[in-house]
Amino acid sequence: MGGKAQHNMAEDLNWAVGGEAGDGIDSTGKIFAQALSRAGRHVFTSKDFASRIRGGYTSYKIRTSVEQVQSVVDRLDILVALTQRTIDENLDELHEGSAIIYDGERSWEAEIPDEMTAVDVPLKSLAEEAGGAIMRNIVALGAACEITGFDVEYLDEALEKRFGGKGSKIVENNKEAARVGQEYVRENYDLDHLGYNIETTDSDYVLLNGNEAIGMGALAAGCRFYAGYPITPATSIMEYLTGRIDDYGGHVVQAEDELSAINMALGAARSGARSMTATSGAGIDLMTETFGLVATSETPLVITDVQRSGPSTGMPTKQEQGDLNMALYGGHGEVPRFVVAPTSITECFWKTVEAFNLAEKYQTPVFLVSDLAMSVTEQTFPPEAFDMDEVEIDRGKLVDDDEVDEWLDAQGHFRAHAVTEDGVSPRAIPGTTDAAHMSTGLEHDELGRRTEEEDERVHQVDKRYRKVETAREQEDWDYREFGNADAENLIISWGSNEGALVEALEYLEDDGIDVRVISVPYIYPRPDLTEEIEAAADTIVVECNATGQFADVIERDVLTRVKRINKYTGVRFKADELADAITEKLTEEVPA
Amino acid sequence: MSSDVRFTDFKSDKQPTWCPGCGDFGTMNGMMKALANTGNDPDNTFVVAGIGCSGKIGTYMHSYALHGVHGRALPVGTGVKMARPDIEVMVAGGDGDGYSIGAGHFVHAVRRNVDMTYVVMDNRIYGLTKGQASPTSRSDFETSTTPEGPKQPPVNPLALALASGASFIAQSFSSDAMRHAEIIEEAIEHDGFGFVNVFSPCVTFNDVDTYDYFRDNLVDLQDEDHDPNDYEAAKGVILDSDKEYQGVMYQNENSVPYHEEHGVTEDMSEIPDGAPDDAMDLVREFY
Repeated sequence: MGGKAQHNMAEDLNWAVGGEAGDGIDSTGKIFAQALSRAGRHVFTSKDFASRIRGGYTSYKIRTSVEQVQSVVDRLDILVALTQRTIDENLDELHEGSAIIYDGERSWEAEIPDEMTAVDVPLKSLAEEAGGAIMRNIVALGAACEITGFDVEYLDEALEKRFGGKGSKIVENNKEAARVGQEYVRENYDLDHLGYNIETTDSDYVLLNGNEAIGMGALAAGCRFYAGYPITPATSIMEYLTGRIDDYGGHVVQAEDELSAINMALGAARSGARSMTATSGAGIDLMTETFGLVATSETPLVITDVQRSGPSTGMPTKQEQGDLNMALYGGHGEVPRFVVAPTSITECFWKTVEAFNLAEKYQTPVFLVSDLAMSVTEQTFPPEAFDMDEVEIDRGKLVDDDEVDEWLDAQGHFRAHAVTEDGVSPRAIPGTTDAAHMSTGLEHDELGRRTEEEDERVHQVDKRYRKVETAREQEDWDYREFGNADAENLIISWGSNEGALVEALEYLEDDGIDVRVISVPYIYPRPDLTEEIEAAADTIVVECNATGQFADVIERDVLTRVKRINKYTGVRFKADELADAITEKLTEEVPA
Repeated sequence: MSSDVRFTDFKSDKQPTWCPGCGDFGTMNGMMKALANTGNDPDNTFVVAGIGCSGKIGTYMHSYALHGVHGRALPVGTGVKMARPDIEVMVAGGDGDGYSIGAGHFVHAVRRNVDMTYVVMDNRIYGLTKGQASPTSRSDFETSTTPEGPKQPPVNPLALALASGASFIAQSFSSDAMRHAEIIEEAIEHDGFGFVNVFSPCVTFNDVDTYDYFRDNLVDLQDEDHDPNDYEAAKGVILDSDKEYQGVMYQNENSVPYHEEHGVTEDMSEIPDGAPDDAMDLVREFY
């Protein structure tokens, strides 16, 4: 029960709404998150949901503070419970100072531990008074505002954003519903805001999730074509791009399956468009068929994998970082590639931009590997975190009509797969005069024509891998670093665990434990961590999978054993939980 | 350039390795003639080839081309055309590529009605793997993997196309050079997905569906007073399993190609050298 409550350094508030899928949990949470954001507070949200349209427990949690928050913690202060299960599911996070808002008129009898503050609000009846039972969650938001002393007016803008399209009457009813909830608590309870002081600031923040950041990054980078097949949790990238990409002359197409989606995206890339597909779970397995073709035809393509819990159908709405080996090694034969794994929501944006540049500069597939936790988590940022003036576009060796001549052989054939010093060949797109050529998944010569001749084979394999080596030399493959660079213990993470680790540092510091955190966004090529690991007494690799796929890679790179923290429950790491795990791991013997 | 393009401009200097007498020679010649006759040139043409004997066509023709993964030629063609409506896209493959491993894509490409041409070299056999049953093989056709025949009815690709909402369905015979080229030409000029199933005999592994068989049995719809705009008439011809037809079976006069239906008309290869001017509006949406 709230074991880490004493760590509440950021003066954060942890709030949640939970109920059945179909109860409007997601939109209720989002409205509250937006209201907090409008009040100049930072928020970090997390969702727990099942893969069903209706039925099954679902919740939306918000951690909010005036300082930036990057993780959830094992502590819940205010809970809006639409079902008893919502209370039961969260008992270990609730503490004696927690308040639980519930509707005592509903059929279930709320069992709430005595030491907590039970706030019985007739949500449905009050909502009906305000204009309709459907607004009961908004009544609950009003009640939550009163309990914490948060000005209910901050909800207004969020309600306008959410319901504006349905007419002013609906918006006004919802505003009224919030106020009715607030009034009810004010008149019936004397809670004195439970000691909370929800400070506000003048800051203007934007609130978005990782998939929205990837979609926005794609538009910023000039992506014009997206083909995909709906699959949780990747679909929201497609939904973000649909409509918006058309404003720039682009198009989203829903393919009949992932086999088709990646091939459509490849076709558009052959046409010269910046092109992307995204998928998850079994979808990436289907796409694997085409990885080799993308690489051997030297087609610039961004392939996004928003990892979810596997194998097979696994836990489709749960977190996992289980696809690292697939991203690194997927596909028969040897497939040159880049693998980039953004470590935060802002990085989802910037690494997407970078992925498109890498793809075109090196005419190589780029795997952008995100995960479910990042895709559904909404977080606040100052808008400058996505400064569009900083976006750079590099299209690589794209040749125009005037440059074709220098790449023709003696017979006038365009050398689309010319063997060059840096491995990168000229790229001519359809319509370029005198540069018509073929590309193929067969091994080929410089002209793209099939060959099984030994020298040609070796030249082509070498030149494709030389592109990766060129990139290794010319691009930055840096890691991100947090904590104390001189600390004797080193924590390494990849992908979305960064935020929880950064917050875990505060808990560790409290306990007098000093660590250095290295967060790695580049999986291939990746930074060489030999020096860092050799300098450390203990190295722990943190990842959301059972076998330690990144730890394996690091051990092989550095030829030394590391300790591992693995979580494969389907839920992302929490900051306080990580701090505990690290503390415990540091006392263990290094594996033999 | 296009006015003086000859069909041989679409020929590469690579010598085909198809068996002497293979139907694919005639199929390819007709495609090249049709492309030249419709004012295209190699620089504005994109050929997507499947896998199998037929898939080698991308090597023997001269144009922008991609020879891809088995069965996925139509999705590639779809992407090429959507990104570049100005490019003439022709997808070519075999009966295995189109009606077996790629059957799912065939159905959806047909109903999507992207303005491209799909030529299937149907020899009713798997040739490159040395003679196994294909989805269009006769049910009693004995092969190495079906010693007593597939014992399943062959796919009727024309009916599959019709059921999928096709806007243009035709069939030709590679050996009837002039008619074959004419039919491909009509498919190219059709506003939408132009589908042509071509009888392209395999002289090595199919001793049933031979040149002689088609010569003796082919009925040209041109001689039959057939109206391709008449859906019911088309249905009758397509479902008639007693005869082998050549010609345009069905053409929807009101076909609206994908790019018109969805407003996909831009050249997607052109992008600015930084984020779009109004890109900060994308960020501000998240206030």
